[in-house]
Amino acid sequence: MDEDQSTEETTFVVDEITTVIKEAVESTIGNHSYQHNKINQWMSNIVESSLSQLTKLGKPFKYIVTCIILQKNGAGLHTASSCFWDNTTDGSCTVRWENKTIYCIVSVFGLAI
Amino acid sequence: MEEYHSGDEMSFSPDEASNVVKECIEGIIGGVDYSQNKVNQWTASIVEHTLTQLVKQGKPFKYIVNCAVMQKSGAGLHTANSCYWDTTTDGSCTVRWENRTMYCVVSVFAVAIAL
Repeated sequence: MDEDQSTEETTFVVDEITTVIKEAVESTIGNHSYQHNKINQWMSNIVESSLSQLTKLGKPFKYIVTCIILQKNGAGLHTASSCFWDNTTDGSCTVRWENKTIYCIVSVFGLAI
Repeated sequence: MEEYHSGDEMSFSPDEASNVVKECIEGIIGGVDYSQNKVNQWTASIVEHTLTQLVKQGKPFKYIVNCAVMQKSGAGLHTANSCYWDTTTDGSCTVRWENRTMYCVVSVFAVAIAL
């Protein structure tokens, strides 16, 4: 008797996660301009609401959410990441968002338990 | 008969990781100025070297190493991270480094492998 288990529940689905993150960013800083005294609050909101939406998906994953917010003034910013994990089950996705005065980069890493 | 397992091998040591990261950064961008055409190479080298050194420690962890390099020009940069994991075994460390012309922020996340 062969058992074919679908792995949908246990692999990292990039599109779903991207949607969750975009909503979290839009709802927090959607129309706002860069404001130094509000940044900390915005960042906490983005990472916390992203993380709680991700855990609501109910999948057997550990999550790491990182967020970078950069004021637009011509500076160069470069980021890289390198991961040592299980290629068959783990994954990441990065969402880049911008408006007139802010760049926002959110990365999610999902590691199967 | 009781078996007592020491927890040393199983938890993440942020201090040790922090030292590994600092050495990698210094070795790659220690004495140089920000250069747009080299920065991609630098960030890739930093994350790869750091990851290699961490994996050599032989601990039962999955690792994520993240590096951001920014030119010093007066812009505001803010970073945050949030993690959903097992707080008894997993951990992270972040190293902030700068010289005259650039900032470098490297974060290491270590997630224990269930054995």
